Amino acid sequence: MTLQSLTKDWEPMAYGFLDGSAKREIRRKMLKAISVPGCQMPYASREVPMARGWGTGGLQVSCTLVTPRTRIKVIDQGADDSVNAASIRKFLASVSGAPVTTDTLQADLIQSRHRIPEERLREDQVLVLQVPNPEPLRSVQPNMSIARQMHADADYGRMWLQLYEQIVRSGRVMQGASYPSLVNGRHVMTPSPIPRWDVPKLHMARHLTLLSAGREKRLHAVPPFTRVEPLVFDDVPYRVEDHAGLTCHRSGARGFFMNEIPQADGTSLHEVSDSDLGVKTIRAAEGEDTRIGATWYVDGEMS
Amino acid sequence: MPAVPQPSAFESRCNATYDALMWALSRPGLPRDLPPFDPDDLPAGLAHPAHAALIDALIDRECTVHCENPELARHAARSGAAPGTPRTADHLFLDGLATPDLLGDLRQGSDLHPEDGATLVLPARLGQGAPLRLSGPGVDGTLDVRLAGLPEGFWQTRARIMRYPMGFEVFLTDGARVLGLPRSTRVEVL
Repeated sequence: MTLQSLTKDWEPMAYGFLDGSAKREIRRKMLKAISVPGCQMPYASREVPMARGWGTGGLQVSCTLVTPRTRIKVIDQGADDSVNAASIRKFLASVSGAPVTTDTLQADLIQSRHRIPEERLREDQVLVLQVPNPEPLRSVQPNMSIARQMHADADYGRMWLQLYEQIVRSGRVMQGASYPSLVNGRHVMTPSPIPRWDVPKLHMARHLTLLSAGREKRLHAVPPFTRVEPLVFDDVPYRVEDHAGLTCHRSGARGFFMNEIPQADGTSLHEVSDSDLGVKTIRAAEGEDTRIGATWYVDGEMS
Repeated sequence: MPAVPQPSAFESRCNATYDALMWALSRPGLPRDLPPFDPDDLPAGLAHPAHAALIDALIDRECTVHCENPELARHAARSGAAPGTPRTADHLFLDGLATPDLLGDLRQGSDLHPEDGATLVLPARLGQGAPLRLSGPGVDGTLDVRLAGLPEGFWQTRARIMRYPMGFEVFLTDGARVLGLPRSTRVEVL
């Protein structure tokens, strides 16, 4: 054994920003997360040049996976051009030299804050979701050690009770985003604060989903072809947001998840939340050569 | 604007190796190709050089590793990993298995921490031998595969001793191909 064999050549910065030991740890934990779908795996969560809570978990997963050939798309609430998305995309490109895109169909790796694109993801694509709170039980059990024991026991009675109380008080389930979902019939996970509209997209999907919470130092995964079932009562069916009949005032796209834009006169306009889909719809309407992939929702119905 | 960092050959190989492992576990039963490696990068005389590539991608001083092959054990030790026995190791690299008895010794984690379960890396012959039917997460319905080179009773023992979410992961290597079997996969011997 020589000194040369124990050291590596000097580099100004590790490729993909994270050093080797950080990447190896995240790799090992991702493999275990894929093996136990929906189960939260603790990891060290190294420092990245971004405040915790702004997507550092997703960023560390992306930094681990990225290569100079990985085409990256980053979205924030469906938009490619918001500050969080633009800065993460710029950072990933600058530390990896990876090409970037806004087109869902061309992306290899999609890092997202709180939305799943409307176009169906393929089986070679990876979706990385940024997770602010990975613990679905936190609202019913703030002690994380007890919550972990509840996951170990598959003790989700309080989760059901919470949903029941919402129905009794309000007539419907009030959980808007991060709807608790049973993965592979065993672990309840939070799908990160994606709207209810997006949760069915995870069920038996073709792509791999990795959910990573940097501040909370945990990651979980939904492999392809895995059951993801929102917790619902037999007689109170799961309902997605009532957006099926809305039309985007800019692109004319209809039957997708919309952003509501309040107007001065008290009314509101709607704009398709998946900005890339909106852009493509406008381009197609103007006669440009664009390809819109198959979408999960067709005419506002999950297909 | 500072120059964009370029991955070294080692970094690229580790990344591609992990990519193969990740997709192997995500789609159990579908073999993935490990990246080609320069023979000079890995110790000479290994029966299964792919195992050394897996060590480069996954193993460091936070791990406890059991390697059957002494040359591979030296390679693992260079990463800083502690040597372990089959009972204590979190990653095991074997040159073969005569009986399935070893499976009972493997770490399976706990209900609280399923991630403490071991990862077993074994050589096998993919596409030959006894037909098996896989189902579970990552499998679109069911998938029939053929695997040879594993001891009699391997799958029955695996099914008997693992109680989900506790368990261990198995990577089967055949040259530069790898097939993953997470603990969530049900294996039926046809």
